[in-house]
Amino acid sequence: MNGEVKFGYVSWLPETGVVVKVVEGLQQGKLLGTKCIKCGTRYLPPRAQCKCGGHEMDWYEAPTRGKLVTFTMVTFPPDSMAKHAPYIVAVAELEDGSRLLAQITGVTPQTLQVGLPVQVVPHQISQDRIVYKFKPQ
Amino acid sequence: MAVVGIGHAKFGKRADATIRELAAEAVAPALEDAKLTTAEIDASVIGVAGDVFAAQGSPGALIHDYVGMGSKPSFRVEAACATGSAGVRTGWSLIKAGLAEVVLVVGAETMTHVGSSMATEWMARAGDTRWEYPFGITFPGFYALMATRHMHEFGTSRMQLSMVAVKNHKYGALNPFAHLQKEVSLEEAMKSVPICHPLNLYDCCLISDGAAAVVMASEERARKISDSPVWITGLGSASDTMMIAERPSLVGLTASQIAGEQAYNMAGVTPNDIDVACTHDCFTIAEIMSYEDLGFCKKGEGGKFIEEGQSYIGGKVPINVDGGLKSKGHPLGATGVSMTVEIVKQLRGEAGKRQVSGAEIGLAHNVGETGQYCMVHVFKR
Repeated sequence: MNGEVKFGYVSWLPETGVVVKVVEGLQQGKLLGTKCIKCGTRYLPPRAQCKCGGHEMDWYEAPTRGKLVTFTMVTFPPDSMAKHAPYIVAVAELEDGSRLLAQITGVTPQTLQVGLPVQVVPHQISQDRIVYKFKPQ
Repeated sequence: MAVVGIGHAKFGKRADATIRELAAEAVAPALEDAKLTTAEIDASVIGVAGDVFAAQGSPGALIHDYVGMGSKPSFRVEAACATGSAGVRTGWSLIKAGLAEVVLVVGAETMTHVGSSMATEWMARAGDTRWEYPFGITFPGFYALMATRHMHEFGTSRMQLSMVAVKNHKYGALNPFAHLQKEVSLEEAMKSVPICHPLNLYDCCLISDGAAAVVMASEERARKISDSPVWITGLGSASDTMMIAERPSLVGLTASQIAGEQAYNMAGVTPNDIDVACTHDCFTIAEIMSYEDLGFCKKGEGGKFIEEGQSYIGGKVPINVDGGLKSKGHPLGATGVSMTVEIVKQLRGEAGKRQVSGAEIGLAHNVGETGQYCMVHVFKR
């Protein structure tokens, strides 16, 4: 069990089932989403219930390659993120068309371009916190 | 259905007033304008977005009681930054349903009492706290993501963003209720400190305290109460996904497009018929997208629209000539009601130096969060 490792730079919610599973996946280098058994809709990040009302979900491994859709550099962070600032948050579209929001490292907004090929990789923030992030391919 | 009374508190950093005192500052002139007492009002709808900002649970009950509505029915509505317009829509619904004939709608918020980093924190938590907030995305950050994409797809420039700020400050300087009554130069706006690239300080609305109030009445009552009722002829409302990454497009707000079309259809008008509008300029990019989403120009041409001066008085559609959220301020719950007050003033010809001459049809467009809520109202004198 990875109940002690939390998801995200900061969070206030309990680590419910979907989060525990995402954390386990990241520790094995995988990006996991859920798929509704009833209607087939895929969710990345995963949901425990489907928007169609279905509540039986399968897990699937999402593609980790994609392209940047947009980005911003946060220089005025909320209090809880002050020690990490400045940081760049981006949205990328993955090979299966799904979109994900995460931070990107190893770049500056000046060199960053929409359309940049990126990869989603696990990022261990500290001993008790993990997250996924983008890095240039 | 008509608006028969309007009232507005001074927006600003109001350490001198609590939320109920601000509300009362807006309610008194609204009642006076309608020449009514609270005894003649059937119900209240109170819009407050954040209990944390007000440092008060059930702020609706607090305000309803303080302004003397006593045992009359009341409830509080919340739709983030569109709370005020949700109040107007709710007031309309109560009257339409026959539960009331005359309704007092109050929007109020205190935001500076908690400090700007705390305010940033709580506004960010209005995003998806499971999968997006944990990356440190902020409220300006969400709009910055849209700005980057809009600039990429359409060549919208940093200068065009700043031009929105220059316009809204120009008009805000003429509005005695505005938080920052001062003009800014294009150079100042372009050079201000970065908040979330590509947005800087002058691309962001103010964090303000304030309140506004309107009295709404059924057609029959409105004709008896007022010589100059302003009719609500169209309403639209739509929603969108909580997670911004789930949206297929980031160069506009789908909820604005849907709500706008509903309101136009109901009122039997087109964007060309609008003489004056208040649109949701929480960030400069938001106003540029509103031009496009509401059909004042084509998608992608919002930057050009401001550059050509089309949203100034004398242009195609004067927009936010009360200063907008940018200069007037954006006390969340008050904003939609304040927009209503401004449009009513314009259609009555009472806007003074900011008057759009001969305005007959007006529009208010109020967005909650990043389009999770949107309400559009069309008014006619």
